Amino acid sequence: MPARTASEDFTKGLWKENPVFRHLLGMCPTLAVTNAMINGLAMGLATTFVLVLSSLVVSSIKKLIPSQVRIASYIVIIATFVTVADRFLAAFFPPISKNLGPYVPLIVVNCIILERQEAFSSKNTISRSLIDALGMSLGFLIALLVLSAIREILGSGTFFGQQVLGTWFEPWIIMVLPPGAFIALGILLGLANKIEEKSKSRR
Amino acid sequence: MELLAIFISAVLINNFVLRYFLGICPFLGVSKKIDSAVSMGLAVTFVMTITAVVSWAINHWILIPYGLDYLKIVSFILVIASLVQLVEMFIRKVSPPLYQALGIYLPLVTTNCAILFLALLAALKEYNFLESVVYGFGSGIGFTLAIILIAGIREQLDMADVPEPLKGAGISLIVAGIMALAFFGFSGMIK
Amino acid sequence: MSLSSRMAVVLTTVGVLAGAFLSSIGHLTKERIALNKQREIEKAIIQVVPGTSSNQSLYEEKKLTIYGGMDEEGALLGYAIHATGAGFQDEITFMLGTNIDLTRINSLAILEQKETPGLGAKITNMESFLRYWENKDCSQPLSLRKPAASSPEELSPSEINTITGATISSEAVLNTVNSSLVKTRELKEDGKLKLEGKNAR
Repeated sequence: MPARTASEDFTKGLWKENPVFRHLLGMCPTLAVTNAMINGLAMGLATTFVLVLSSLVVSSIKKLIPSQVRIASYIVIIATFVTVADRFLAAFFPPISKNLGPYVPLIVVNCIILERQEAFSSKNTISRSLIDALGMSLGFLIALLVLSAIREILGSGTFFGQQVLGTWFEPWIIMVLPPGAFIALGILLGLANKIEEKSKSRR
Repeated sequence: MELLAIFISAVLINNFVLRYFLGICPFLGVSKKIDSAVSMGLAVTFVMTITAVVSWAINHWILIPYGLDYLKIVSFILVIASLVQLVEMFIRKVSPPLYQALGIYLPLVTTNCAILFLALLAALKEYNFLESVVYGFGSGIGFTLAIILIAGIREQLDMADVPEPLKGAGISLIVAGIMALAFFGFSGMIK
Repeated sequence: MSLSSRMAVVLTTVGVLAGAFLSSIGHLTKERIALNKQREIEKAIIQVVPGTSSNQSLYEEKKLTIYGGMDEEGALLGYAIHATGAGFQDEITFMLGTNIDLTRINSLAILEQKETPGLGAKITNMESFLRYWENKDCSQPLSLRKPAASSPEELSPSEINTITGATISSEAVLNTVNSSLVKTRELKEDGKLKLEGKNAR
């Protein structure tokens, strides 16, 4: 792997290797919890918490773990932090915990997290792994927020629960329902491909 | 009656793929050909049914009696991972043809969020043993149904003139969206 | 150290550390989570049995819990029926408040539902649904007015207005209310709904 600067480690997650738009990872939470901004934000932050701490732990003990049991160890580490996030939400933010329901525990099997441990934290220094995890989390968070914004504004006429479209607007209920999630993400992926194509041909 | 309601609800109304967005990764990955979709569906159904049994046992005999609720996520995921390994070894021993058909899909099942979700939801809904098994089996059938339907459509899509940027995942998601819409027609079947 | 023993040591260490860490987190949050749940129930009871200062769980089965709401002296004010039944998409859980004789509904509060937003989800809406449940005579089984009456005055005392476009959700709530009332009445006649403690009568 060619040496990269810290800023490259950070920014690659935002677009070039964006987990959702470019790598199609973590699709389940992306679709499931983006019916309102607050849910998307909570899920993004919970995932950030788990990814950053798991990367920190994995990169600091990477030399101690024999490669045969690395996946099992990673899963235990990830599941531990996910439990912490889940309990924390249930204890201090019960309404959000109720909205997200079993999707918080599902962060364990969010492919983004295991993939980053395997592809990056297990091979790089602590500081680089941290920067990578932060960048990736931010990329994921942005993807969640973009999709939530579209779905909440069109589906409920609100933004973070605040009315933004006038009373003339008849909400497109389908946008907050599962079909709306699939269709909106499908179109967004198409747009992302289009933008990538454009920027490539310019280069 | 209750069991039938759980089954129908798991297959059609609260379909894991089309309503809970679970297992989207394999859904996009192996839904290009009907044959592979069938194998994947069978592997998932198989593992789901066993997971329902094992997670129920763990939850009722270990986690609840000893108040170890906070170990639920860790123990379920570890059990699922080792279960898939065991199933893989078992199938390879007893039925090589079945292994040929399912083999490469089994490891994929481990990281399939649908399995963990099943274990968690069955625990959350406080299903009894039989209900859990029916729920696991039904959810697996529901997954199989959705993935086969999509694979059928995607085979046809190869011949269609899809806009370049939407090819692959984009159009599959839109198709899934339309199918989710169609599945809404099943809502309210159970009263 | 051989590889296999190293593997075992590493896995055990990781497992033990994770377990120890989680058990402390578990204990730290346990009370608070239980408290949150209890508070939610209490809030709903106070809402449907006005004037409640304390409550007691009188009967419990899967999908049906009956609470007694009591005033400051511990006298029974009414029953709060916490029930779950099938809805259009998924189950609907509500809290229904009645008087002591189970002849009048104080009000209804929907606690959990996953009905279609904008249609079935209107069961949580005061204006379109919940207000029809306020102060309702329930000595007869309740029925649904469909198509919906344009003004509440047209409804008979035991009728509930349907939500336009969400007949099934309206019906689902109605059916669960009726069946849970029947069950509660049976329990009461069998003398199974008794307050415990010094204020029992």
